[in-house]
Amino acid sequence: MIELLAITDDPAPAAPPLRVVPAAGLGVVVEPAGEDELDADALWRRESLLEELMRERALLPVRLGTRVEDDAAAVEAVAPRRDELAAALDRVRGAVEVSVRAVAAPGPAGPAAAGDTAAGPAPAAPLPGAVEAVHARLSELARDDARHEGPELLRAAYLVDRTAVDAFVAAVRELQREQPGLSLLCTGPWPPYSFAEEPGP
Amino acid sequence: MSTGGAIAERDVALVDLIDRLLGGGVVIAGDITLAVADVDLVHVSLRALVSSVEKARPPEP
Repeated sequence: MIELLAITDDPAPAAPPLRVVPAAGLGVVVEPAGEDELDADALWRRESLLEELMRERALLPVRLGTRVEDDAAAVEAVAPRRDELAAALDRVRGAVEVSVRAVAAPGPAGPAAAGDTAAGPAPAAPLPGAVEAVHARLSELARDDARHEGPELLRAAYLVDRTAVDAFVAAVRELQREQPGLSLLCTGPWPPYSFAEEPGP
Repeated sequence: MSTGGAIAERDVALVDLIDRLLGGGVVIAGDITLAVADVDLVHVSLRALVSSVEKARPPEP
């Protein structure tokens, strides 16, 4: 069994244990399938491999756990979607993904106790429209954006030109200052996990 | 990387990584569901403030 890690359109060989299997003008980055159970270190190792690759070529990460029998099966899985994947590679070329989440900031007196029925005002509630303001500003700086459902007030991914990452982070810092009612959690740069598939209609 | 803050950041980044690995990427026929062990998301504090871009990854072996 081999595991599919990424799709690229650069046929250059990758450093072992990775191999690039040619598939209808694209390349499928594969490695021998490993253990079925992954711990955090294994996830970070996989991430490191993708980030190394991402430095030198455009790539689309493949969903974790995608395994096929052999190279021929990998080609068979990817070839029918060649045009769609090539277009997706063009969309993400030269860009990286940055994750931003927003949660309500803890109040000055610390987080309110669960089930608190105190009559006082809620501590440091985010301003109305704060989340939308953050998302709107960051979307302007991004090539594309994707919002996801989650327990946070905002869970979003932004596709940012490599050359614009510093400006994007500066904007996150500025928004954090402008919106003390929110805590902004920003991580990256990531491979374009959230932009590998064309969004649904 | 031994401070509580750095560990919290690593956990925050791990949440983002797992989100992406399990919910992102190209979906190709032949998916197998893998178990992700030793990852207790309940312990991740969303109150950590990470307003810079940081992966806070574990040290390279």
